[in-house]
Amino acid sequence: MAKEVFMPKLSSTMEVGTLLQWLKEEGDPVEIGEPLFEIMTDKINIEVESYEEGVFLKKYYQVDDEIPVNAVIGYVGEENEEVPNEPPELADEEEPSEAGESAKEDEQPAAEQPVESATDKVRATPAARRVAWENNIELSSVSGSGPKSRVHEQDVIKAIDTNRATPLAEKIAADKGVDLSQIQGSGARGKVEKADVTGYAAAQTEPREEPERVKLKGLRKAVADKMLESTQSIPHVTLTSEIDMSQVIDVRKSLLPVIEKQTGYRLSYTEIIIKATAHVLGNHPKVNASLVGDEIVMNKDVNIGLAVAVENGLIVPSVPNADKKGLAELTEASKTLGLKARDGKLSPDEMSGSTFSISNLGMYAVDGFTPIINPPETAILGVGRIVEKPVIVDGSVEVRPMMVLSLSFDHRAIDGAPAAAFLTELKDRLENPYGLLV
Amino acid sequence: MELNNVKLVPDVGKDKLVDLYKQMWTIRFFEEKVDEFFAKGEIHGTTHLCVGQEASASGACAVIQEQDKITSTHRGHGHCIAKGADVNKMMAELFGRTTGYCKGKGGSMHIADVEKGNLGANGIVGGGIPLAVGSALTAHMKKQDYVTMCFFGDGASNEGSFHEALNLASIWNLPIVFICENNQYGMSGPVKDMVNVKDISERAQSYGFPGVKVDGNDIVEMMNTTHEAVENARSGNGPTLIEAKTYRWKGHSKSDAKKYRTREEEKEWKDKDPIKRFAGVLIEAGIFTEEESKSLRSEAKQAVEDSVDFAKEGPMPAHEDLLNDVYA
Amino acid sequence: MREITYSEAVREAMEQEMRKNDDVFILGEDIGVYGGAFGVTRGMIEEFGPERVRNTPISESGISGAAVGSALTGMRPIVELQFSDFITIAMDQMVNQAAKMRYMYGGKATVPMVLRTPSGSGTGAAAQHSQSLEAWVAHVPGLKVVQPSTAYDAKGLLKAAMDDDNPVVFYEHKVLYKTKSDVPEDQYSIPLGEADIKREGTDVTIVATAVMVHRALEAAEELEKEGISVEVVDPRTIVPLDEETIVQSVSKTGRVVVVHEAVKRGGVGGEIASMIAESDAFDYLDAPIQRLGALPVPVPYNPDLEKASVPQVPDIVQSVKKTLNKA
Repeated sequence: MAKEVFMPKLSSTMEVGTLLQWLKEEGDPVEIGEPLFEIMTDKINIEVESYEEGVFLKKYYQVDDEIPVNAVIGYVGEENEEVPNEPPELADEEEPSEAGESAKEDEQPAAEQPVESATDKVRATPAARRVAWENNIELSSVSGSGPKSRVHEQDVIKAIDTNRATPLAEKIAADKGVDLSQIQGSGARGKVEKADVTGYAAAQTEPREEPERVKLKGLRKAVADKMLESTQSIPHVTLTSEIDMSQVIDVRKSLLPVIEKQTGYRLSYTEIIIKATAHVLGNHPKVNASLVGDEIVMNKDVNIGLAVAVENGLIVPSVPNADKKGLAELTEASKTLGLKARDGKLSPDEMSGSTFSISNLGMYAVDGFTPIINPPETAILGVGRIVEKPVIVDGSVEVRPMMVLSLSFDHRAIDGAPAAAFLTELKDRLENPYGLLV
Repeated sequence: MELNNVKLVPDVGKDKLVDLYKQMWTIRFFEEKVDEFFAKGEIHGTTHLCVGQEASASGACAVIQEQDKITSTHRGHGHCIAKGADVNKMMAELFGRTTGYCKGKGGSMHIADVEKGNLGANGIVGGGIPLAVGSALTAHMKKQDYVTMCFFGDGASNEGSFHEALNLASIWNLPIVFICENNQYGMSGPVKDMVNVKDISERAQSYGFPGVKVDGNDIVEMMNTTHEAVENARSGNGPTLIEAKTYRWKGHSKSDAKKYRTREEEKEWKDKDPIKRFAGVLIEAGIFTEEESKSLRSEAKQAVEDSVDFAKEGPMPAHEDLLNDVYA
Repeated sequence: MREITYSEAVREAMEQEMRKNDDVFILGEDIGVYGGAFGVTRGMIEEFGPERVRNTPISESGISGAAVGSALTGMRPIVELQFSDFITIAMDQMVNQAAKMRYMYGGKATVPMVLRTPSGSGTGAAAQHSQSLEAWVAHVPGLKVVQPSTAYDAKGLLKAAMDDDNPVVFYEHKVLYKTKSDVPEDQYSIPLGEADIKREGTDVTIVATAVMVHRALEAAEELEKEGISVEVVDPRTIVPLDEETIVQSVSKTGRVVVVHEAVKRGGVGGEIASMIAESDAFDYLDAPIQRLGALPVPVPYNPDLEKASVPQVPDIVQSVKKTLNKA
């Protein structure tokens, strides 16, 4: 006759034990005194040893299950011996003398078991099944509170909550009166661990001010949608390269007064970068392309989009035919577009048609970043700040003004090598800007 | 008008008599045609034919007006035609077409033409009798000048509804004429075995109004008797029960081997063919010649032939219409 | 608003309509000076006379058939059957004639009639005068079936039934005749096919008809003391059935008890339960649907046995708890 393996009462206050791991599997031979499983009580973690020898026939519970003291959690006996499919119910404490009889009664449901196990069906209500399905919970892992262990909706919800946390985390949460469902778990598959609970509990004690909530609407909503669409549909790859800006600085210094006199606008690095980029794009049509439907459109015009931050959003006006414009013309164009953008006076034409965009964050303490492509374009250039750095030049350390360029491209349209070739040529052009005159 | 020394009481006129003669042929040809198509399997379901009983339907309906109403029975094609129904729409109904009286949803046992005062055939033996009483009650309560003529068979006179309805009609003194077409058999049950009074017309006595029996194969007698009953009803003198003794030539329905009666008996009754008798009367009275009678007969036959063409051209009902008209 | 009894509400609905519409009349046994078996038509013959309050012989088949025939030809009759058990005798006229005429005739007939009849047990009238046979007629396409549970509902539903161009079987409940509720004096109509939520709740839905609405409400009171929140839905009409309201309620609570006085086997409760199981509410069911109805036995005479044969408040309480695994 198979012998019951039960949850030991390891302290006077212990009512339940949490199963931490099984040390034997069904079918394993078991010696007296061999550890069968490990549990956690309200005080300790402990390995429980077998009182019997034979074959480990049955285990009724899974790791993390909370099991009442004295509950039968498995059987050890002779090989192929029959044991119930469900754990026998706990005998009523008040009627210990009738234990024999109640055991007899227990045999009746046991006799029905083969039928149930033949279909391997879980008894669960439609609502429980729906919630389990919605939350990707295996119904067989949920213990039912209804008649004949029927699983109800609340059982599944409870299982979702309990499966979310380690036993220790659960205990701490219970002690601190913390609602586990509110805690973001940091463990595997979002499992809530001890630190999550203590951290959450600590945060809860800090004074909190209600956040201000702003509805996502207007330009903010448009930007949000566009960014989401871009990141969700475009496989982005970002390449970075550091540029020595010494010569660009010289060029700017010498041309600034001339252009200011001619146009009234001060030449900035942006325009020089536009000029160089537009020039190089002419040699790399794949980078100046648009991806429309299932076609890659190689644009003949080089229209540079400039990301401009405005209140509550970002807009990208376009400098048309940038490759055919001189620096004076580019300066005037980019400055007027910027002003119009901030005043909200851009025409729809001015906001469309770009074939490649540039996002310049060089005025901030930003070295490099991963710009998001402005669809249907296939690439975007992110410009960081110019910062003086020690650089090895011809074997000696020199201080040079350095700037990081980040090129994000759409890997559906462009592969790494052509994108890298473009960035390399751009670096070369900016480090030797007089080549633009060639 | 005198017909063969018999006075025809209702003032129907010569043309009406000619029409009636043609109508009786229309009924007969219609029934024969239906029989033929059932035999061919082109019409489905079941049907109950009134061949041999044309005089009672035509004679009774000859003396009522358009505003008057009838209720009919499962053997109701004759009543329908006699009350002025269009044979095209009747045939289309039997073919289950939307152009039929019931849009193909009623079939042989449920043809009705409420607008023309035909409150419908009825598949329940005796089912129409209380309905006729209700119709007469409406006339009475709304003080409308119509009479309801209620057709049923010898079998129905054993139904509880017959007795309840006759009693109601009597106590309320309603404008109604009950016409029991005793065709000698309730399906296979001979009336002599099923009713233990000599004449079903006697049953009227239990309810306190007149019951008369009449040769149902003699249209002149039929008209005279019904006319009197209708006039009584219309003038507020209450109901009459008329028992028209007749015979159905064919079986009860399409699958009847007629084992319950002899071929000799059938022949005896066929010799009393109501249409031939009427033809003889009309020729002798000089209403029409034999030649003219033959051409009326072929006109009737042609009308029935045409009704088949009409029926077959009608569209079948769409499944989308299946649930229509369950509720108003 | 003034309170009147269920029986007065039924009478008032008829009287108000009969004053307006000469086509409406009532026929039935002992409805004249006697005032009807349950006194519902008391006083009506004095106002409307014997033509329009038409006292009939004991001929259920004849009078129901005459009603069908008069409805077919332009009247709007109301038949009163003394006990709904007697519908057995009127059945051919209601089922084979009234219900089917419009369809059989291809939509060319209307049968605007109401058959009013008291049903149910609780009066000691025993087996042939205590039945609830509404499932019989609910089964027949072409008939509408109404079961008001309050005086207010009775008046409004009867108005709708009289206005309807279809044959309507209107079940009044004997033990409700003397119950009172607020009833507006003016005419009003409650559309056939609109359920009424008689009590809102969140844990369990009880769908109850006729007298069982009151027992369900009593059960809900008791259950509230135990923290169980019960919603009581009264369909009010069995045909057409307001499936939407029932489905919504069950989707909300996830648990349902269907209770009627009629014998459970083959009762309308089976139809309602199946409808729920087939509906979108299925995925929200968190316990097996419970049905309560009379035991499969003729209604006994002995008052104690009579009570025991049909659902009582403790049965409903028990059944609700069962859906919550608390019984």
